[in-house]
This record gives sequence, structure tokens and C-alpha cells, in this order.
Amino acid sequence: MSDAAALPAAADEPRWQRLHPATLALALVRIGPRSLQFLPAVAALGFTGNWVWIVPAILAYLLIALAAACLQWMRFRFLVGDDEVVIESGVLSRQHRTIPFDRIQDVSIEQGLVSRALGIAKVGFETGAGGKENDAHLDAIGLDAAQALRTTIRAHRSTPVAAPAADAPESAPAPAEDRLLFAMGPRRLLVAGLFNFSLAALAVVGGGMQFFDNLLPFDFNIFNPMDWIDIAGRYGLDSWLLAHRWIAGIGAAISLLFIGFASGVATMMFANWDFRLTREPRALRRTRGLTTRTDVAVPVKRVQAAIVVTGWLRKRFGWHELRLQSLASDGEKERDHQVVPFGRIEEIDPVLGEVAIRRPDDAQAWHHSHRIVALGPIIGATAATIGGGIALYLGNAVGWLGIVAAPLIALIALWAARYHLWADIGDQVAIRRGWWKPKMTLLPHASVQSVDLKTDFILRPLGLATLVFGVPGGSSLASHEIPAIPLGVAQDLRARILTAGLRR
Amino acid sequence: MTDTAAAPTDPFAPDALNASEGLGPVDPAYGHVLRITTALNMLPLAIGATLFDLLVMPRIGGPTGLVSVAAWLFAAIAIVTFPARRVSRWGYRIGEGQLRVARGWLFRTDTIVPFVRVQHIDVGQGPVERWFGLSHLVVHTSGTHNSTVTLPGLQADLAAAMRETIRRHIQTDFA
Repeated sequence: MSDAAALPAAADEPRWQRLHPATLALALVRIGPRSLQFLPAVAALGFTGNWVWIVPAILAYLLIALAAACLQWMRFRFLVGDDEVVIESGVLSRQHRTIPFDRIQDVSIEQGLVSRALGIAKVGFETGAGGKENDAHLDAIGLDAAQALRTTIRAHRSTPVAAPAADAPESAPAPAEDRLLFAMGPRRLLVAGLFNFSLAALAVVGGGMQFFDNLLPFDFNIFNPMDWIDIAGRYGLDSWLLAHRWIAGIGAAISLLFIGFASGVATMMFANWDFRLTREPRALRRTRGLTTRTDVAVPVKRVQAAIVVTGWLRKRFGWHELRLQSLASDGEKERDHQVVPFGRIEEIDPVLGEVAIRRPDDAQAWHHSHRIVALGPIIGATAATIGGGIALYLGNAVGWLGIVAAPLIALIALWAARYHLWADIGDQVAIRRGWWKPKMTLLPHASVQSVDLKTDFILRPLGLATLVFGVPGGSSLASHEIPAIPLGVAQDLRARILTAGLRR
Repeated sequence: MTDTAAAPTDPFAPDALNASEGLGPVDPAYGHVLRITTALNMLPLAIGATLFDLLVMPRIGGPTGLVSVAAWLFAAIAIVTFPARRVSRWGYRIGEGQLRVARGWLFRTDTIVPFVRVQHIDVGQGPVERWFGLSHLVVHTSGTHNSTVTLPGLQADLAAAMRETIRRHIQTDFA
């Protein structure tokens, strides 16, 4: 099967290939969770008293699912031609798709836990056509075949474009093959995980404990201070504890903290184990993951913008995260590429250098957005006050929550409004925002596709306008906008950015 | 900070806004298009309100006639007054290698798309637009924020000419 990569010398007769047979094993594994759909039917059988039929029904379901998987496997074939990939699929409605190599922006290779055991990988072709359903993939072929296929497509891509790329400034130094730019060892992952403290998992665990309270073999909820008192009472500590009730609170708090940290470390370890970012001739390549190893290449010329994210606390310790917004998007789950999940700013700068984006230095003078950007949250706070008042009037004590929260929201909004900053640094715009989760977007003028200048009935009397940039790729983190800046400044900036874009 | 001298003085002057920003108006006939589409949207609502008044109100003992009067009044205002105003807020300018489209008053958005950034162009014509010989131009960019920019209310031949102008500039600058 690894002749997928054989150079198309004798490609006269079509050489159709099938997916790796181990894909069937993968399909078997997938039937597991999918059989949940079958649960209602089982329940129906159970309720009507036809217990005898449950096992045959399940068997029949499994058999049909397996047959369907087999059929799909048999009806799926693909062909790697001279300059295109052809995929035929579908059992009842046939689908024939041709993807020219020219249009494939990148080939991603992904391996789940089972795939790694079987030595197969899912190959995705990113064509830049938006939406998940538009991207073709081969699920799955052998790992070596996948890598060979990627090499073939990349080799094809680099040949015709080499000439125009020569005048690009960043390709001048002719970088060595596969230079390691950034890697994360277990120590770094541990530190990153500690900063990744998250109570999200806690909510899940806590909710689960509430839900399964009666099912658990032990009747103990670690979040419930009363349970801590109980356990102490069992050891004869109750008389002492009742006097020192706060001990119970601390116990609950400690277990809370522990779960938060542990889940943070665990998610970081699973996602970023053995993180490596390497510079290839035309792309930055990232491999990471403990159980699911992914291998993604971000073509350097397609990088549209860079986003440096940090957190209120991790900034104090000098830790930052770098994401690149690229035309070849990573699919639904990750719209921008996290190329440095957790690193020092000195480690981020070289990576930025590779994509020809520079970070403004500390001496950079920043412009402020107008304080009016806090208006939205303040309106929200007012609404919370009114709602709280109404609730109190109706005799619901929850209303105090709204009344207490409102001034807090307003204060935080006013405070955070000071952190809407921007600067025009030569050929790129830098936009900073956020106080709790500061992020800095570095947007080269050349990647701006369109500019909106927005005013409304609030901004106009103040002589303000908001600039919104249309940038390819899209990012979950950053909307590319500079809110509430003076109208004249906005018009100047717009003109500068657009002329820069035209010059390219 | 507020040194905006040339702000439009009379917010309700129909063409002052566009003129002060150097934009040309769209075809006034687009007002009729908007009026008809608004009518097509509002009439079913008003009729539904009347039916509700006639059939349901007597049973629940509500005030008869109130809902239908309100609905028809609202529909009449929406059909008669708003379309003309909305049309006067649309403005565009084509030239200097870029297309500029502005719309709205309460929330005004002024979009500029350089021709070289255009991925592809549509010229569309709905049945009502065809009636008045109008077309709309849709410009697609690869940006996620403004992936389509629509400019309605163009004479059909003007829209075609604009499409040709923009098409000459389209080039793929991706590697």
C-alpha cells in the first residue's frame, strides 16, 4: 500500500487503492459508542416484556453495523495521480471527488489511540474550502503511506511556486531542513499544567457526584463541608471540629484546588505531550499529543496573523502562548494553530521571525480606545440591577445576587476598557486587549482583505469609529477590530492599511 | 481628540450623509424593491394578526380589533416610510482599485474591499429587482469577517460593468 507515494512514472493505468484493512478494526471500535443509539430500542423491548429478544436484537444491530462498515470500506477507493487525488466513496449515492494537488493547502496526519496501535493514520486534505464537510480525508491508511503521500504532495507544491517565492524576503536565508524551533519537555508541561488550573473538570466531577450520589459505594461528597464533618466525627474528632468548623471548609477547598490542578496538568499532558515545532523548508510543522498524536503543518506563506495570549497570572511569571492564524485552518476544533502553547517571550520571538511577523518592543507607544467600549457591560450591569430589584420586589432573595454583581461587572468593565490598545508599527497593526486574559494580535497589513469602518448612534456623537478587518482563516480568540478610536485616525489607518495591501 | 469638523450636520437629510463621505447613492428605484419586499414580509403578519383577532380574541374575551389595528398600522408605516430612508443610507464608490460600500444609519458600516482581494463576484437579480431593471453585486473575499459584501440597487448594466471592472483586477496572489 505504500506505493501511494511512488513517483507517478507508470501512472498510465489508474491504480486505485483502498484504505488500510485495519480501518475495519477501527470501525469496530467505533460501533461501541454508536450503539448508544440502539439503547432506546433495547429499553422499548425491555418495557414491553420481550426480554428474550434483546440479545438477538443487539447481535443483529452489531451485524448490520459491521456489514455497513464493510460495504463502505469496499466502496471507498482513492487514486493518487500525477497532480491530483481522486476519491470515490458512498454505498448508495456515489461520490466522486477530484482534488488537484495545487488546491491542497496542507495534508494533516492524525492518529488516535487505536490508530497508533494499528499503525494507521487519518489523512486530511485541507483545501481552504470552508467547513468541515468540504474537507476530504482518508480514514485511514498506513502511517508510512500517509507520510509518503504528504511528501509527494508537498514536493509537487514546491516545484511550480519556487520561482515567485524567491523574491519573498523571508525565504532568503534558505533555512536548513527541519530545524527544531520549540519543544516542550515533561517539566515544562508540568509547569504549564499548573497554570492551566481549571475548575471546568470540577464542575463535571461535582455534577456527577451529585447525580450519582446514591449510586456511589461510599456516601461522601468532597465538596460538601458537612461530609467532612461526618468523616471527622467517625474518628471522634467531632467535638473538636464543631468548634473549628473552618477545618472542614479548608478540607473542601483543598480537594477543590487539587482537582483543579490535576485536571489542568492532565489536559496539558494529554494534548501537548512531546510537543515539537520544527521549521521545514516551506512550513512550520507541529507534532504533539499523548494518546492522539497529531501532525500539522502550517505553511509559512499562509500565515495571516499572529496572536500572543497570556493570562493575568502567567504574565507575571513571563509565560505566553503563541497562535498563528492561517489560511489552512485546522478544522472545526482548532481554528487557529497553537504553535507555542506555553513559552517565554524569547522563545516566541524566533517563531514569529520565521513567519516574518515582529513583535513591537517594550518602548512601543500604544494608543487607547475610548472608554465607551465599557458601555456594553455597563448596560448589562444596569439590567442586572433592575432585574435584581424586580426579583427582590417579588420577594425572591436571589435578587441580591444581581444587585451585588452589577457594580462589580461595571467596575471590571471600566477597568478592562483601559486595556484596549492598538499601535500601527510599519507594515502591521498590533491590537491588544484584555486584562484578565491579555492578548495581542499582530496583523500584517498585507493580510487584510477588507476593512469595515463602523459608527453608530453612540459612537458618532463622540466622533469615534470602530475598525473591523476581514482576515482570512478566522480565529476563535481574536476578532480583528480596533474599537472606538477617533474617526479621523480610523480613516487614516484604513487608508494606510489598504495602500499597503495593494502594494504587495 | 474630537477634531471631526466635516461631520454630517443634519442627520435626516437624505443625501448629505453620502455626499459628505464622498459616496454615490444607489438607484432610487431600489426603494420600490425594498417597499415590495417589505410588503411581502409584512402582509402575512398583518393578515395573521387580523385572523387572530377574528377567531381567537372572542373566545378569550380580549379586546377585539386592537391587535389588527396595531398590526396594520405598523405594516403601513414599515412599508411607506422606512424603505425610502433605508435606500438613502446606502452609498457606494468604485475606483482607485477598491470598492467602497456604506450602509445604515443607526449602525453605519463602511466597507472597503480592494479589487485584488476579491475572490469571485456574483451579480444577482431577484424577481422584484428584475421588475425594476436592477441587480445586486456580491463580492466575495477570503476573509472570515467580511466574506461577502453585497451592494444592492444597481442598474443591471451598471452592475455588469462593475463586475467587469473588478474582474480585471482579480488575481490569485496565493502561493
